[in-house]
Amino acid sequence: MKRASIALLAGFATVGLTQTMFVGSVAAQDMTFSADEVDTPPAEGATPPAEGDTPPAEGADNGDSLLGDLRQEGTQEATTRDAAPRRTEASEEIFAIQQVYALRNSRLEVSPSWSFTVNDPYVSHPAAGIALNYWFTNVLAVGLNFLWYGGLENESDLNFNVRRSTRLAVPITEYQLGAHLNFTYVPLYGKFAMFNEYIFQWDAYLVGGVGMLRTRPVPVVDPEIRQFDFGLRVAFNVGIGIRVFVSRWFAVFAELRNYMYLEKLESLNVALGAGRQDPATWFADSPSFTSNVTAHIGFTMFFPPSFEYKLPR
Amino acid sequence: MTMRKSILSLSLAAAVAALALGYAPSVSAQEVQITGPLAGAPAVRRLRIYRQGRFEITPQAAFTLTDEYSRTIGFGASATYHFTDWLGIGAWGFFAPIHVDTGLTDQIAAIGQTADSNRLSLPSNGGFPNQIGTINWGAALQVVFIPLRGKLSLFQKLFIDADFFITGGAAFIGVEERGETGPGLCRRDPMTGVLDETSCTLSQTDRASRVAITGTFSVGLRLHVNEWMALNIEWRALPFAWNTSGADVDGRNDLAGDSGFADGLVDERDRAFHFNHMFILGWTFYLPIKARISE
Repeated sequence: MKRASIALLAGFATVGLTQTMFVGSVAAQDMTFSADEVDTPPAEGATPPAEGDTPPAEGADNGDSLLGDLRQEGTQEATTRDAAPRRTEASEEIFAIQQVYALRNSRLEVSPSWSFTVNDPYVSHPAAGIALNYWFTNVLAVGLNFLWYGGLENESDLNFNVRRSTRLAVPITEYQLGAHLNFTYVPLYGKFAMFNEYIFQWDAYLVGGVGMLRTRPVPVVDPEIRQFDFGLRVAFNVGIGIRVFVSRWFAVFAELRNYMYLEKLESLNVALGAGRQDPATWFADSPSFTSNVTAHIGFTMFFPPSFEYKLPR
Repeated sequence: MTMRKSILSLSLAAAVAALALGYAPSVSAQEVQITGPLAGAPAVRRLRIYRQGRFEITPQAAFTLTDEYSRTIGFGASATYHFTDWLGIGAWGFFAPIHVDTGLTDQIAAIGQTADSNRLSLPSNGGFPNQIGTINWGAALQVVFIPLRGKLSLFQKLFIDADFFITGGAAFIGVEERGETGPGLCRRDPMTGVLDETSCTLSQTDRASRVAITGTFSVGLRLHVNEWMALNIEWRALPFAWNTSGADVDGRNDLAGDSGFADGLVDERDRAFHFNHMFILGWTFYLPIKARISE
């Protein structure tokens, strides 16, 4: 049994050696098994098998098996290699696993955006923003984002109508600016086809960080007396986003982000007498947890625009 | 004012996106230039054709977002026939048996103040939940466009075919609002300027139903679990004007001319434009259940 195994291995080794000698330096998947080549008749004048050569034993490889094909191809290629060039030349190599289309590692990302509030029916906080991210791995980045709200905010008609119709005031706030330190992680990436024709790469990311917002209450309970100055609030943010690459350095993105902080709202009570003029009575007793869910739409530019793959394909 | 700023906001967002696309260098998709034996070959081989020539039925659960006074929770379905893998035509409908008051409604019911000046808008604070508008049903004929398809890889472990779709069409929305006030129902006497308190209280529970005809559009993501079932996640907009609060918020003042202010009547002039966002979760079934495979 052991001898039979050794003989089988030796047979495979012989076939392999023969194949290697005839084909030369081939790489994986460079082998061709086209029907044309297999069916090519022997060259004219080729020597037929000498009479008396040992015929194949019954049950042995007679050319129908894979080994037979390989041997036959190797032999035929030896005879036709110089005579007829291959009909098709491949100018690119095909790899089992393609390289990532756009590397982020060690690149700086600059992302201008426009954002708007999606969860507050009383007041909207649209903002122009810009983010800078440095990718220290291909999936992890650290960065800053800056948002400017000043002059862009607007109170909805709902607030006014509620006040007039029900004599109730909903305290609201105004934002001026925000700045945040963020970490970005890319757990998902892939590609999609448009009309089954054009292929685009995309990634989805998680973002989160801490920073500050400069805000102030909008006086709605006693606007004749109360005036508020902007103050800094510590804010945390978390979000998810999707980025679609248009080229290796340019992408568009959409992001949903929640900026959370403790807000000092206007007091719903108006003090009587001299106390009405006292700013200490203008704020609510305890701060309120505020959540500003924001949609960002923008584009991203990666610098340097080009990069080199460090690892071979 | 708010709507104008919202439109401005959306326009700016669109401009940023347009700028992004316009600024993009003139590259073709991903700059992949294929030469050699793959030149001219299909972008994807052995592609599973999920939609072409198939019916799609999607039972759904839906709820509205960013509501002022009442959240709508409903159940429905969409049915679509796909002519190609990226284009189909179908119908969508839902019925909303559940309405949940928002925190603002609860606050008004608890501590809203009624005086003669706002008796028409709030005859009684405790009865406020009875006067707010609700969406009861909706139906639409729509075109379904699927421009993008691909696959998702989660932590390199889970691979799911996915597609992104857009729908657009005409919608019919069943709305219930506070009934119009008029003679005998909370109308201010033009001579004395007095509101009849009893009839105002009665008008708070007076309801009127109508069908609002509008456009609708949606965007969504479909995650295929196999060749005949998929998870459907969708955001839909039903933009139309309606009176959500049942209050007198706008109109032409019969005495002072066109003021654009409260006119002493609850009527169609008090309808304000709302975008009416809706989140939909569904489960898609394809028929026939076998999907074709491309070359």
